[in-house]
Amino acid sequence: SCEDGEMVIKFSHVTNTDKHPKGIAASLLQQRINDEMNGKACMEVFPNSTLYTDEQVIEAMLRGDVQLAAPSLSLFESITKSYRLFDLPFMFKNINAVDAFQASETGQAMLDAMQRRGLQGLGFWHNGMKQFSANKPLLEPSDAQGLKFRVQPSDVLVAQMNALGASPQPMAFAEVYGALQTGVVDGQENTWSNIYGQKFFEVQDGVTETNHGIIDYLVVASVDWLDSMDAETRDQFLTILHEVTTERNAEVGKVDLEARQAILDAGGVIRELTAEQRQDWVDVMKPVWTQFEEEVGAENIAAAQEINAAN
Amino acid sequence: MEVVLLFVLIVGLLLIGVPIAVALGFSSIFFQLAFSETSLASVAQSLYLAMAGHYTLLAIPFFVLASSFMSTGGVAKRIIRFAIACVGHLQGGLAIAGVLACMMFAALSGSSPATVVAIGSIVIAAMRQVGYTKDFAAGVICNAGTLGILIPPSIVMVVYASATDVSVGRMFLAGVFPGLLAGVMLMVTIYVIARIKNMPKGEWLGWGEVSASFRDAVWGLLLIVIIMGGIYGHPWIRFDEGLSLIYWRGGAFTPTEAAAVAAVYAFFVASFIYRDMGPLAATEEGGLPLPLYRKPLAIFTAFFHKDTQATLFEGGKLTITLMFIIANALLLKHVLTDEQIPQHIATAMLSAGFGAVMFLVIVNVILLIGGQFMEPSGLIVIVAPLVFPIAIQLGIDPIHLGIIMVVNMEIGMITPPVGLNLFVTSGVAGMSMMRVVKAALPFLAVLFVFLIMITYIPIISTFLPNSIMGPEIITN
Amino acid sequence: MSGKYTPKGPVGRVVHGLEETAIAVILGLMTMLTFVNVIMRYAFNSSIIWSLEVVLVLFTWLVLFGVSYAFKVTAHLGVDAITNMLPRGPRKVVALLAGAICVFYALLLCKGAWDQWAPFADLPPTTGHWFPTGLDTAARGRSFFETDQIPMPDWLRFLEDWINYGEHYSKLPRVVPYTILPVAAALILFRICQAVRRVWNDESESLIVSHEAEDAIEDVAAMNRGD
Ligand code: NA
Ligand code: NA
Repeated sequence: SCEDGEMVIKFSHVTNTDKHPKGIAASLLQQRINDEMNGKACMEVFPNSTLYTDEQVIEAMLRGDVQLAAPSLSLFESITKSYRLFDLPFMFKNINAVDAFQASETGQAMLDAMQRRGLQGLGFWHNGMKQFSANKPLLEPSDAQGLKFRVQPSDVLVAQMNALGASPQPMAFAEVYGALQTGVVDGQENTWSNIYGQKFFEVQDGVTETNHGIIDYLVVASVDWLDSMDAETRDQFLTILHEVTTERNAEVGKVDLEARQAILDAGGVIRELTAEQRQDWVDVMKPVWTQFEEEVGAENIAAAQEINAAN
Repeated sequence: MEVVLLFVLIVGLLLIGVPIAVALGFSSIFFQLAFSETSLASVAQSLYLAMAGHYTLLAIPFFVLASSFMSTGGVAKRIIRFAIACVGHLQGGLAIAGVLACMMFAALSGSSPATVVAIGSIVIAAMRQVGYTKDFAAGVICNAGTLGILIPPSIVMVVYASATDVSVGRMFLAGVFPGLLAGVMLMVTIYVIARIKNMPKGEWLGWGEVSASFRDAVWGLLLIVIIMGGIYGHPWIRFDEGLSLIYWRGGAFTPTEAAAVAAVYAFFVASFIYRDMGPLAATEEGGLPLPLYRKPLAIFTAFFHKDTQATLFEGGKLTITLMFIIANALLLKHVLTDEQIPQHIATAMLSAGFGAVMFLVIVNVILLIGGQFMEPSGLIVIVAPLVFPIAIQLGIDPIHLGIIMVVNMEIGMITPPVGLNLFVTSGVAGMSMMRVVKAALPFLAVLFVFLIMITYIPIISTFLPNSIMGPEIITN
Repeated sequence: MSGKYTPKGPVGRVVHGLEETAIAVILGLMTMLTFVNVIMRYAFNSSIIWSLEVVLVLFTWLVLFGVSYAFKVTAHLGVDAITNMLPRGPRKVVALLAGAICVFYALLLCKGAWDQWAPFADLPPTTGHWFPTGLDTAARGRSFFETDQIPMPDWLRFLEDWINYGEHYSKLPRVVPYTILPVAAALILFRICQAVRRVWNDESESLIVSHEAEDAIEDVAAMNRGD
């Protein structure tokens, strides 16, 4: 724990500390800061929502009750709409494209999107690409028609499910497994590591490898807190954070593949799409872009597509 | 250590008559202000999010409401009639019927005191009429009423599930066998005592009465089917041609939604079928209720009728007092987490070399002592996060741990000096507390044996959920 | 023990009626909204996307608002095993001490509720750790915060000019559901003060009841009087 005179950095997150990509990154960050900034700063990590839930943490940060958090991008909906770019279906074809975009000028500028609200994005942490699963095989977009999908409560995701002719259902994450099992909802969308970690594959007919979206986290701190640090400490802190971000993001592909393989090993079914099948999904869901073009910015979409094509 | 100070402060405040919620909240706030930087605004936010951020706790108001509609709506007396028709002719039959009625009402209601009030008020009077001592009657009901939180649905299970992120549906399934087992153990004990003491037995009223009373009670009992079938799935008829007619249809709602459906269903049964309340109820004592065609407007007026409003209000009031305690208990949980107390305790326990057995004994003792001061839901909110991580490390099944905690809560409710069911029974039976304690003692012994069985035979709790929902997943 | 609370005077009766109606109506709305959503999903394969969030807000309002009512009618649970053994005089002293703790609790709640709510209404929170020492006018406003899914009703659009510097709200701003915080905290303080005054005037003995079913028991206890 922290010694007197050290700057205390409380990091609150909602996953475990050693299996989830975010938890692993947070643990690594904690270890490096406590080693390298010993005497200057000290980081305490509160995992598993033990201190704050993701819904609470942004408000708590603006009050100064917590210094660091990494909520999923959809949690910032009520502050800026620009992160909706990452929710738009088939915006990026793989995690490398996401990485390249975030490293680009446009991507880095998005970190500052909430500055005037007192929040500073410090880096994007990946969870991975999203896949669909349901209680029947999903190969054509029409297979999803009429099914009930649990989604995070976001306008983009609701529009995405409506485009498929499916019915979006908001539901607390803790209830999803039970609801999939008993059939209260038919399907859901998530990353490989979540589908494996929550064992959703056990209660679904199969998972379809669509890679239709991403789940990313934004490491965030308050502008006031960052301003309160002396420049040297801040630089050291940010350097460590960026190194951890790069290191862990590079590993995400591997973590994802491991989770994917673990699902197969555990007897789960994974369906791959042919190029034509995937194109059908793209055609059905891409019209959602126009709906949100104004909020997200046509120039941002264009920049993302340029990078996407190059990857 | 400061934490000891914190708990001393809480107990001190409780003993001088500070409301439980304020004792927990004030101590936690005081502690936060004194030992950390956390702001009062954060306290306010936590109180707000105790409700807004805990979706599963929503089941509490709904189950409380369903229970209120069934108590005022005449479900209890119909269940009792059916229970008497089934087992009333045995030696000690009325007492056994009382337990059976408690079990059936427990399957409709989420709380123990509600079960005692609904069943106890009628059965205790009936037992005395046929020659049982008041003490025996009170002892039976006081104990059987605790099944209210063990047989699903259960408010305490909802709170445990919410505090530890296990599935409510799983917890409900896990309570089924233990609930039946505890009920049967109580009934057997009564039968043995009745044979020894030659207690009265009723008359066998014939299969006619069994079926008549069942038809009368079936609207209430149907709720069990609706809750369980709605959550876990049910057979359904298919209308598309070419396929087999009957198929298994998946669940219709989550456990939280099931509670709301239960409340609406109970309202309909009470207002339109039994008509013991609402616009169609008989206007004079002993009169007959009106049929709906005589007063068709009742379809609308029932929603705004003063009986409906009064029941809604009663349900709301109970929800408020329970949730105020839970919300403040969450403040305390926040303090304990902030100070990383669970980790310290876990480290201490594990390094002391405690195994699962010793650990469970400690949990039982903590809960039995804590149960003297605390309302069960509030106690679970505080204790569950403390012991849960340790239990997981020791390889104890989270569902099994939950059932152990619920059974401890049951026992806490009927042990002196403070026990919710003791108070309620003493009120319902018009007896002094100490007399109820003595009356409850022989059956309390049965529940103790039951607690030991539940603690050391995990399969009683885990068999049903594991065979229906697959083995428990631990992701954290 | 507590006895039934009877409101005094015409204003008291109206307020009492309003409080009880509010509690009944909020719980009724929560139940119906949840029920309708189940029917929509099960029978029509659709859903009201905002209903879950609205139900949770109503749940919060029900409890936070209701806490003050429960102080008024002495419905909060507590342990009276020890205080009941005390003779009259000391019992009153102890009850007043418990009352003082409650008042202090409510005061802290008031500061916390204001500090949490004010920035969302573009008002300054107070300074000071536990004692308000002034207004923090430099604090950033948080009036831009919106709820997740609750639609913005047009009749509340005036809030855009009042607190959001003319900027558009696409969802209901959080300040609206949060308004229950300062309102409830003030009501709780008021009702606790009244309850303490009743103890002081010997009109009641404590601020607590020992169990949740006290009212229900009064109705049925008559059935089992005598031996
Ligand atoms: Na029950
Ligand atoms: Na007890």
